[in-house]
Amino acid sequence: MQGLRNPEKRGVPSRTPQGRGMSVTQPFRYAQGREPVERQMVFDGKSGKLFCDCAIKSMMIKRLGFELLIGGCTLGIMEEPNRPDDPNILWKIFSSLKLTLALLIVLAIGSVFGTLIPQQESAMELAHKLSPGLARLFSSFQLFDLYHSMWFRFIIALLAANLIVCSINRFPASLRRFRGQPSPERPKLFANLAPQMAFALNRDLEEVSNNTSAYFRERYKRVRSATTAQGEHYLVGERGRCANFGVYLVHLSVLLILLGGLVGSIFGFEAFVNVPEGATVEKVRLRKTRAPRRLPFAVRCDKFSLDFYPNGTPKEYRSDLSFLVDGKVAHRGVLLVNHPITFKGITFYQASYGTIAGNMARLRIASKNGVEDSSFEAQLGKTYDLPGGHAKFEVVDIRSNFMGMGPAVQVQVRAPSGRNPRIWLFQNQEKIRRRFPGIFEKFPQLNPAAFEPFVFSLEKIESRYYTGLQVSKDPGVFIVWTGFFMIVVGLFVTFFMSHRRIWIRISKSPQGVRVEVAGIASRNKVGFAKELDRFRDKLQDYLLEAPPSQAETA
Amino acid sequence: MSSSVILSYITFVYFLSFLLYLMMMVMGKESIGRAATFVTLAGLAGQTFAIVLRWAESYRLGIGHAPLSNLYESLIFFAWTIIFLYLLTEWRTKNKSIGAFATPLAFLALAYASYSPSVNSRIQPLVPALKSNWLIAHVITCFFGYAAFGLAFGISIMYFLKKLEKPGKKNFFLRIIPRPAILDDLSYQMVVIGFLLLTLGIITGSVWAHSAWGSYWSWDPKETWSLITWLVYAALLHSRMIRGWRGNKLAILCIIGFSCVLFTYFGVNYLAGLHSYAQS
Repeated sequence: MQGLRNPEKRGVPSRTPQGRGMSVTQPFRYAQGREPVERQMVFDGKSGKLFCDCAIKSMMIKRLGFELLIGGCTLGIMEEPNRPDDPNILWKIFSSLKLTLALLIVLAIGSVFGTLIPQQESAMELAHKLSPGLARLFSSFQLFDLYHSMWFRFIIALLAANLIVCSINRFPASLRRFRGQPSPERPKLFANLAPQMAFALNRDLEEVSNNTSAYFRERYKRVRSATTAQGEHYLVGERGRCANFGVYLVHLSVLLILLGGLVGSIFGFEAFVNVPEGATVEKVRLRKTRAPRRLPFAVRCDKFSLDFYPNGTPKEYRSDLSFLVDGKVAHRGVLLVNHPITFKGITFYQASYGTIAGNMARLRIASKNGVEDSSFEAQLGKTYDLPGGHAKFEVVDIRSNFMGMGPAVQVQVRAPSGRNPRIWLFQNQEKIRRRFPGIFEKFPQLNPAAFEPFVFSLEKIESRYYTGLQVSKDPGVFIVWTGFFMIVVGLFVTFFMSHRRIWIRISKSPQGVRVEVAGIASRNKVGFAKELDRFRDKLQDYLLEAPPSQAETA
Repeated sequence: MSSSVILSYITFVYFLSFLLYLMMMVMGKESIGRAATFVTLAGLAGQTFAIVLRWAESYRLGIGHAPLSNLYESLIFFAWTIIFLYLLTEWRTKNKSIGAFATPLAFLALAYASYSPSVNSRIQPLVPALKSNWLIAHVITCFFGYAAFGLAFGISIMYFLKKLEKPGKKNFFLRIIPRPAILDDLSYQMVVIGFLLLTLGIITGSVWAHSAWGSYWSWDPKETWSLITWLVYAALLHSRMIRGWRGNKLAILCIIGFSCVLFTYFGVNYLAGLHSYAQS
């Protein structure tokens, strides 16, 4: 419904082929349903209005070279489409809806590619499978990080520009519709009125007029009245003026959401960090660049715990965190999935967990002759005496999963003889031996019996949990939330509210007084027709029951 | 009797109501139409009972949560929303012919849920990521949106069928279908409802993702496909409201839109992503 304006204010359209002041009747064929029907359109040059004798779709008029305001069910008021004379070709391009549709479709298709081609980290696998030429082509179009590629952002920027230009172009018309005070006197509206929209009363004209006005004012806004020289009373009132702005609210919120995303990507960051139980970290690793970033405070994981349902599915991940400023605990909190903690503008989320090796390992040391067989609790980096006291050993490395074969420790033996083997010991020794027979004998660095006469074995390593935290700061998020809220309100206003205007004419008739009701709605004509019906019924009841009222100054 | 057994029976109730709606259209008898509405209503009541029962069962198992947490439960709820929205439409429009196009959608969803070996009907506990009040808001808005788009799809199919009707020649099957202009308007209204709900669904999902994973949008395939669906319907609404597209073009867009919905719902499961719990 573009070009909907108040004709009274704007006067005669300039681009009429017949010129000013002339009335032209134009027959045309209009397909309503299947069969085209012969119809007539009358252009009244004096008022600059166009009337036609049927309900007509706005598109039909557009094809005829006009735009119109649908007036109720029976007539249309035409007005010349009024575009600002824009010599600026860019402005013209960006104000076109064709561009909007094209951009929406291109964005949709582009996004489809992004879901079919693995993105970011998982893209490497595909990149290796593709031929080098194709892989180069893909990466030159940034298809492996499509949603952050220049061209994708460019399309979003074009869409934003399109949205802004279209809204600016259409806004003045909406504002005029919002502010415009329709003239109460609209005899043409009543020219082809359906008979049920009028009723007669055996009352005094002034009294009916005053009562109608009182009733009308209670239910509709900005009611104005006029009396013609012939003694006819006209009233006009309206409701839902704000419906004109719903679409701008939607467009504005889309822009806000985009702005929020932009603000977040410029001023915010997304990072992660793994914190072992008991450990304190000050640095996190950025997701995008993998670069470290120092936090303005330190985070300590006091405890990590997880809880399972009886069937083994995880129930809860929980990290007890302390936030330290200058070494002192400034805040403590329990972090759960779906319950992030924000400290000094930086938010922590429970993202993952895992285990890492601790500092302790339990080793069993047997000697070949079977005399000695003992268990050791060994701490990483400490030196212990081997049985017999001739040699020493040290645990130099503890791994929770070494070469994909499970927990392992590396032991350095130091003997006075100068034989200092370094041996990896596996907790799953027997399993590995079964899978790879002879592996321990083949590689001395894996041979648990490499230092005669002792045979080492690993019983257990101490393991600790670490909690995987997502760390992010997004100053744009409140802009996005505002956009979300506004878009819902805007869509609701756009789709479910309508600008309804009702005209009433009260005139003398042979039965006494004749009251006629007509109206125009910007949307939901069916609903408005019902509203008009109800309004007429209620008004009639009210007028029949109303006591004579005092004279009212309108 | 457990809820999943009842639900597997409801599948046939909806199949029966589909047959009744079809018979009503072929035979043109109002009494069959009334029976169809009655059976559908009974199916909805039974299904509502079964869903509430499933909810209660989950509490008895000590893992109480709303039955909206996996593929099975979502399919059940999808069927429920379709029938609910359809009955509302039937009541508003006083036309029963849409039933023949809406009930099969619900029947198929229920049949897939109850009889596909790949869909697990057991009540499973909620993993930590799903433990959020946003779950209910997100699932309800999304699936009512999907249901509205599903009805718009059914109405668009009706539109093309009605177009086959030759003027003058009365076709038994097609005569009860409303005029194309009415269908056009009805499917548009469904799209409007669906669009508002899909927007709400994306928003609730986004706010939830922000509290669960720390990012309100991460271009996960399901998120992206819901955005694609949103873009398609946004294009549809603009083409109608501003360019005045009607009829064929709009009906085709409704069908494309609903295929995007289906891909968002099912197709995305073949792509990896954050919504993996909705796969089994």
